[in-house]
Amino acid sequence: MLFAPPDVPTTEIFARLGEMLKDPYDLEVIGRTVGLALAVTIICVVLGFPIAYWLARSPSRWSGVFLAVAIFPLMLSNVVRTFGWLVILGSKGALGQLLVQLGIVDVAPQLLYTKLAIVLGLTQLFLPLAIISCYSAVAQVDPGLDDASRGLGASRIRTMWNVVIPLTMPGIVVAATLVFAGSVTAYTTPYLLGGSSQRMLSTQLFNYASTTLDWASASATALIMTVLVFLISGLSSLIGRKGATS
Amino acid sequence: MKRPITAALAVIGYVIMIVPIIFVVATAFTAGNVLRFPPDGISLRWFDEALGYEPFVEAAISSLELAVLATGLALLIGVPVTLAIHRGKLPGKGLVEGLFLSPLIVPELVVGLALFQQLMIGMDLDNFSTLLVGHTALMLPYAVRVTGASLALADPALEEAARGLGASPLRAFFNVTLPVLRPGIFSAALLSVVTSFNNVPLSLLLQGRDFRTLPVTMLDYVQQSYDPMVAAASTLILAATVVIAVVAERTVGFAKIFGGINQ
Repeated sequence: MLFAPPDVPTTEIFARLGEMLKDPYDLEVIGRTVGLALAVTIICVVLGFPIAYWLARSPSRWSGVFLAVAIFPLMLSNVVRTFGWLVILGSKGALGQLLVQLGIVDVAPQLLYTKLAIVLGLTQLFLPLAIISCYSAVAQVDPGLDDASRGLGASRIRTMWNVVIPLTMPGIVVAATLVFAGSVTAYTTPYLLGGSSQRMLSTQLFNYASTTLDWASASATALIMTVLVFLISGLSSLIGRKGATS
Repeated sequence: MKRPITAALAVIGYVIMIVPIIFVVATAFTAGNVLRFPPDGISLRWFDEALGYEPFVEAAISSLELAVLATGLALLIGVPVTLAIHRGKLPGKGLVEGLFLSPLIVPELVVGLALFQQLMIGMDLDNFSTLLVGHTALMLPYAVRVTGASLALADPALEEAARGLGASPLRAFFNVTLPVLRPGIFSAALLSVVTSFNNVPLSLLLQGRDFRTLPVTMLDYVQQSYDPMVAAASTLILAATVVIAVVAERTVGFAKIFGGINQ
């Protein structure tokens, strides 16, 4: 319990943890964190895999440029990347005004500080990670296998489903693990796009630690976050091992 | 397009990744006082304001100091460790490798909380030293992995040949091994400086009155006022990142830098 303050006994943290797991508000924060992280993980894999497949298999010269464009955001500050969504989703933002001008709605809807905002922000953050993990997996699969499957009469979709995806599964599992763990622990995005109305574990932890100075609660929240991350990495290495032996 | 579904998903993915960045740049050049799109006229005034805003400038210098020092320390520790892992017959090699691979998936906010409790409260260290410890630990895996990736490609026979021709172990290291490692070390350093400079979760709880990092200062500013100055500061960061990315691409190649991390 390294993150526990020296003067708060461990028993108090576990007592606080027990309370949290019964408190409806805290449960909502935990549920929201896991739910949003799951949603972002699914979206990142569903969008990232086809992009990675296309980048790895396209003979076009442009694919190198598109790969660089996909990787570059990884080097860019999360604050900068997330700030863009404030401009798009804010009360005077581009998306709301576009919807009004198109006559779809009369008044610009509340887009910021919603779950949608957090999901968009986290997807932007972690999609490059998903693309890279899938890309290296796809690049290791012999393109001849795709051709063989197609040559034997399988449709494109069937080839994808029965040949490419099973062979690239380890890469997909790595992608999903990185995105899920990243989403559970991300701070900047839920802070800027979720605010206090859509608290996640990270923003809740910071609130306990710096606003209310409630160290027992902060430590209990930290414990929940750590357990979640360890659970997902344990699960993923378990799947990885199973995949390797079967 | 032969694959309509793939194409549609790819377009959505790229829009989500890139469009917000374009909006940041577009609003940075506004002449108006609010974050609005489309912007009211074009001017450079917000760049002026951002570069003249003392908290940002001070924090930028602090962040750079921290990033460079932490990277230097991480390399000083990381390169010998990488050598030991790859060349030596280290007992518990798997354990060491596992240890250095792990921090990428550790919740940084929790690490920040732990460092705050143990080093700042428990051992009475100041903000800067605590941040330096945290950032160095966070940067170590980059140094170990990226250097390891380039070392794995190098032929150990070269080193043995140098030794066989009478070079001392030290000389063999500096004249043969180090040149082989240089691109890896360079890319590790670049990536590590950038990552440290941008870090929020680890640094968040370790801020002090006399030492604040730039990303956290910007976050605080956004929460208080809603003007385009942060857009201008962000655009400057973006420009600097593009320059670094181009240098990295020219010298070692993107795919290698990041491929080394995820495999």
